Amino acid sequence: MNSKELKALATDWRVAILIVLVVLSVIAIFPHFDEQGHLATNLQYGLDLQQGSWIQLEYKAEVVGFTTDEPVDEFIASLTKQVDAEVILADATHLEIRKPYSQADLEPLFATAGGKITSYQQGVSKSTAESVKRVLENKINSLGTKDAKVNTLTGFNNVGRYIRVEMAGVDMKQAQDIVGKQGKFEIRIQTTGNNTEHVVSGDKITSVQVPSQEPAGSDKWGVGFTLSEEGAAEFQAAAIRYGATVDPANHYLAMLLDNKTVYSAPLSTDLAGKLQTEKIRQLFASTGTGKAGSQQATDLEIHLRAGALPVDVTIAGSGGTSAPLGERYKAMALLAGILALITVGFVIYYRYREPSIVLPMILVNASEVLILLGFIALIRFQMDLPTIAGLVAVVGTGIDQLVIITDEILHEGKVPSPNLYLKRLTRALGIIVAAAATVVIAMLPLALMDLSTLKGFAIITILGVLVGVIITRPAYGKVIMQTLSK
Amino acid sequence: MGLFKYNIEKYTPQQLMVIPLVLFVMSLMVLAFNMAATGMPVKPGIDFSGGTAVTIITFDSREQLQTTFSGYPLTEIGDVNNGKFLKFGTMDDKQYQSLTQLINQKYPDAKIDQIGESFGKSLQYQAALALVFSFVGMAIVIFLSFRTFVPSVAVVLSALADMVMTAAVMNVVGITLSLGTTAALLMLIGYSVDSDILLTNRVLKRQGKLNDKLMGAFHTGMIMTSTTLAAAAALFIVSWFGSVQILMEISAVLLIGLVADIINTWLTNVGILKWYVLKGGGK
Repeated sequence: MNSKELKALATDWRVAILIVLVVLSVIAIFPHFDEQGHLATNLQYGLDLQQGSWIQLEYKAEVVGFTTDEPVDEFIASLTKQVDAEVILADATHLEIRKPYSQADLEPLFATAGGKITSYQQGVSKSTAESVKRVLENKINSLGTKDAKVNTLTGFNNVGRYIRVEMAGVDMKQAQDIVGKQGKFEIRIQTTGNNTEHVVSGDKITSVQVPSQEPAGSDKWGVGFTLSEEGAAEFQAAAIRYGATVDPANHYLAMLLDNKTVYSAPLSTDLAGKLQTEKIRQLFASTGTGKAGSQQATDLEIHLRAGALPVDVTIAGSGGTSAPLGERYKAMALLAGILALITVGFVIYYRYREPSIVLPMILVNASEVLILLGFIALIRFQMDLPTIAGLVAVVGTGIDQLVIITDEILHEGKVPSPNLYLKRLTRALGIIVAAAATVVIAMLPLALMDLSTLKGFAIITILGVLVGVIITRPAYGKVIMQTLSK
Repeated sequence: MGLFKYNIEKYTPQQLMVIPLVLFVMSLMVLAFNMAATGMPVKPGIDFSGGTAVTIITFDSREQLQTTFSGYPLTEIGDVNNGKFLKFGTMDDKQYQSLTQLINQKYPDAKIDQIGESFGKSLQYQAALALVFSFVGMAIVIFLSFRTFVPSVAVVLSALADMVMTAAVMNVVGITLSLGTTAALLMLIGYSVDSDILLTNRVLKRQGKLNDKLMGAFHTGMIMTSTTLAAAAALFIVSWFGSVQILMEISAVLLIGLVADIINTWLTNVGILKWYVLKGGGK
């Protein structure tokens, strides 16, 4: 092929798009030498290709669909007593019960409270799952772990049963400590100037309610919480001793989590008056109005819980990879990819014995992997071992489809006229699209489900097929035509 | 591909289908036997049954490992190159913690994965669902793209036979069903129909003599399957050499499945298709 033909080929839009994408991918992957002189890239690795740990937690709670003839508030109050646990209205027809019960055990309790169960599922509502996620993220961030991910795994009906924490560069023992760690919470009172004194510690808080409006519908947000008898007594004593009951404006109450102030406000005049004469267990910390107030209330709820999750969890699964093993797997994965390309190259050469066919095939195939890697780097997708298997499969089937194109066009060994060529290319693409559609459909359930590590694998396989059908196959069709019509 | 001569012309549809039919029935028997013995058609790995899997790179012998972990429910020691794969049954939290401590101390470079029993159950349920959805989805695509009953059934049947045979061989050679091998099976659902689609397309949508079309399709189809085989073989060799268990299992299942696919495409599917065309179906 002379330079003029080469130029013509490179300016064909199909080929041009392929070349541009390859260049963009290399930029996205960004191979470079880091400070230590090691070859580094922008690719992110999952927990089996680098050191790290994962923990999957299962909620000890259930979401139950219900009907009742009683007013809903009364029903919930009565049920709360029956189950001896927090019961929360998840939506109009579903309750979240924060204690593990089987459906059979719940049925009589519902009957006593005056209701019926219409559905039963282990797990928590989406909003609870989100708040568990925030609590875990807060804990992890406060420890400065560099690379952590918390994924809520929510099913089709908005009920989450599991939450998965992945931490890079942390071994399993550390990971378990971090997830299980409780913060130190205390309430302090301003004495004079900037001085404060301890009032009660977090273990005197017996329960924390979800953010609410006080009075209801006023858009004035806050979080209610309950002190133990002892805590209420200490609270009252301190308020009187330091003069907060008579002069609340100069004796702010501050809440501290791990010695950082997370909330500070004076006693309301109403509460100050009451405290003068009685212990009060049920307190309400108001945070303000509107969106900001509601957001602050949400944060405060987490802080009040001091890192404790709103719902009990058990460890459903956990695991970790050591640094040397991760390095070894990474090297093996790279080797497997390269070896796959080479062996596939040999098979193709054995079949066609024609460098002008084999070379474009291998190049197109390699560019496909490169584009896929570029995309992986761009979306900061974490590659793991199943993803590598998916990539190798993309190499294998990518070549398959190039073979279909080549054989269709070369039908009966003759090089076709441009008209016939187009007809045959269309026919080949027809076969390819049907084959590609089956792969996409076969992988779709996995991509939509939360089957732990397999989701990524499915997404990468689907992407690989799409890149092939949309970008690399049409370009190859053009290249092979040019080569053959010499 | 000039490796061997396969003369499709020589055989009647019935002759073509005898071998895969026998294999299919035998495979079903293997699966049924396993189902009766364990309650699952394929033996589940720890991903689905719950338990702890530990990968260590060590020259310690089996006996040494057995002594080291004698206080724990060690159920299996796999051994590839110098990689050892240990499997433990379910343990309570305390025993598990002490096991991880022991491993951290003796083999600090280990990879540990632990799956709780109920988590495993839910994974298993979802994986089964994924397999069913995939298969049904694939069948729908096939029916939509061919819009003729018998050829579509032939493709779907071949894919089903691929799955069944692969699962049976997995039992025989002792590969368990894990997340990785489920992924491989799903990959097979997608990939095994490649050559079937090519075959059906060539036979139904092209002009020419039936046997020429069959031979042409065989020529192209075999090279297609052998490239995928080559890629899977490369993956298998590297992962065996580097003792990367999950990749080894995925590639082994792909290899088994692709061999089953060769049988089912060029005997089962060709048989049904030939019968259909000879009977006057198609053009």
